[in-house]
Amino acid sequence: MNPEISMELIIALTAGAALFGVGVYGALSQTNLVMIMMGVELILAGAMVNLVAFWRYLHPDVAAGQMFVLIVMTVMAIEMAVGFAIAIARFRAKGSVEMEEAVDLKG
Amino acid sequence: MTAQAFFIGFFGLASVWFGIVVFRTYSMMRSAIALLFSQTALGAMFLSMQAEFLGVLQIMMMATEMSIMAIFMVMFMMDPGGLGEMDMTHQKRLSLIAGFVSFVAAVAVAVFVDWGPVATTFPDAAQQTVDLGLELLDRSMLIFETAGITILTAMIAATAVAIQPVKKGDDK
Amino acid sequence: MNTLIILVLLLLGAYFVAVLENWISKGRFQLGAPLFAAVAFLGRESFIPRKPDQLFYEVGPVLLLLSAILAAAVIPLTPDLIITDLATGALFINAALVYVLVALLMAGWGPDGAYSMIGGWRFLGQLIAYAMLIVMPITAVAMRAESLLTTQIVVSQAELWNIVYQPLGFVLFFIASMALAFLPPFDMMIAKGELAGGVESEYSGMRLAIFRLGRLVLIITLAAATVVFYLGGWQGLPGIGLPPWAWSAIKILLVTAAMLLIGRYIPRIREAHLLSWCWIFGIPLALLNIFIVGVLVLEFP
Repeated sequence: MNPEISMELIIALTAGAALFGVGVYGALSQTNLVMIMMGVELILAGAMVNLVAFWRYLHPDVAAGQMFVLIVMTVMAIEMAVGFAIAIARFRAKGSVEMEEAVDLKG
Repeated sequence: MTAQAFFIGFFGLASVWFGIVVFRTYSMMRSAIALLFSQTALGAMFLSMQAEFLGVLQIMMMATEMSIMAIFMVMFMMDPGGLGEMDMTHQKRLSLIAGFVSFVAAVAVAVFVDWGPVATTFPDAAQQTVDLGLELLDRSMLIFETAGITILTAMIAATAVAIQPVKKGDDK
Repeated sequence: MNTLIILVLLLLGAYFVAVLENWISKGRFQLGAPLFAAVAFLGRESFIPRKPDQLFYEVGPVLLLLSAILAAAVIPLTPDLIITDLATGALFINAALVYVLVALLMAGWGPDGAYSMIGGWRFLGQLIAYAMLIVMPITAVAMRAESLLTTQIVVSQAELWNIVYQPLGFVLFFIASMALAFLPPFDMMIAKGELAGGVESEYSGMRLAIFRLGRLVLIITLAAATVVFYLGGWQGLPGIGLPPWAWSAIKILLVTAAMLLIGRYIPRIREAHLLSWCWIFGIPLALLNIFIVGVLVLEFP
């Protein structure tokens, strides 16, 4: 480990990694579409922490670092919109959004 | 251990803790609100990293998003109140391992990579907002506009997918 | 020190709103009525529903009060009397006020009662209607000030108040803030005749007192925000020599009175109707407002 590296950066990156791990667990283990989306949100949140930490501790002079975070927020919003649209369509057609029952999507 | 490191760690822990609560509670409403507080703690973490605009924006955006999440949870879950304590997970072992492995891998990268010198100076909050605005409407304008168009497309597509199909002979 | 002064002022303002609301709804001016009502609330038994979600049930009213106070933290009453002059103040008000929704959802879900739950979800529908109309007019205001600092926003109105400069934005923001504070005619979620009190229906005693106090503080905060964004804040009319704080006070009280009075003459609006109105007329108008302000700022600086 480089002794000159700041403690704050490591802490922030660890928090981001933990959020990512929790998100991966959630996205893989849940059977409900909405819960899976929650896992994906957590994964994106982990990515956002890393982006902010990199911006703040490595390149504070580049505003593009902050812009990336805005893009991730956009991605979150899009993911929600499209995900819920699919959930509604699925619920209309089949009466549930359980992913175990979605094997009928297999051709 | 500086005050900043302490606050980053504290809010980071809070965020991760609420993130875990999301998948450990049976009540869907609690689950959604826990995710909201996880994201809010993240916003507070941004604030303690002196990214003021992003922190406030995160706190604001996520409150709306997660509240909308909450209503969908309650709409689509079989047991939104969580009174039946039904199990809604599968392949638990695999997911635990996958989550843990990705966590360890990311931490290993964070610790063992030489990140180079840490910047000591950074723009203050007002300057950051100005810089970000100029960045968005100057150098990165195309990217930002693309994001805007993508959102618009997603909105239209989502509405088109979700809208009630009109039955034949039912068009008044 | 500033924090303490502003908190006391908020309490005074909330008391004034309570007196005014009492006056408008009952037709009698009673200066002591809110005090007696508060004492009565504290003395009454607190009924607890049979199977509450304990956490949400307790946190809901407190969060409502807290978010209203947080929003007030960036509102300047005089050039110096402000708790914290954040560089993103205009955005921070939004961020704090969104938590009103979270508080109402929690308070609605917590008691495990049908009426209160429907009330909470109704407020979510209302949020989708008004949220854009809060953010977009504030964007136009910030465009004119070229800053998100609330003090800077007030200073930018030295020559011409924003109510004259962008009347469209003022009207939209005024309507949206009434919807945010669930004042009549947008009070479907707590209306007595509608849902037996909606979100409030399962609360009693101390908790109801905190909920009502939170709402009163929310109203006064929104009135203060309207004054800061559109009515020139602490700046007075030329020729009348009053200190800045007096101007702020007078304007805030007038806006509060207007908010309460208007609701009395309009029938209640269902959140679905509000939703379609806001998205079909409100948002295009808000965009038009941003466009007009942009042209004005660029062409006649």
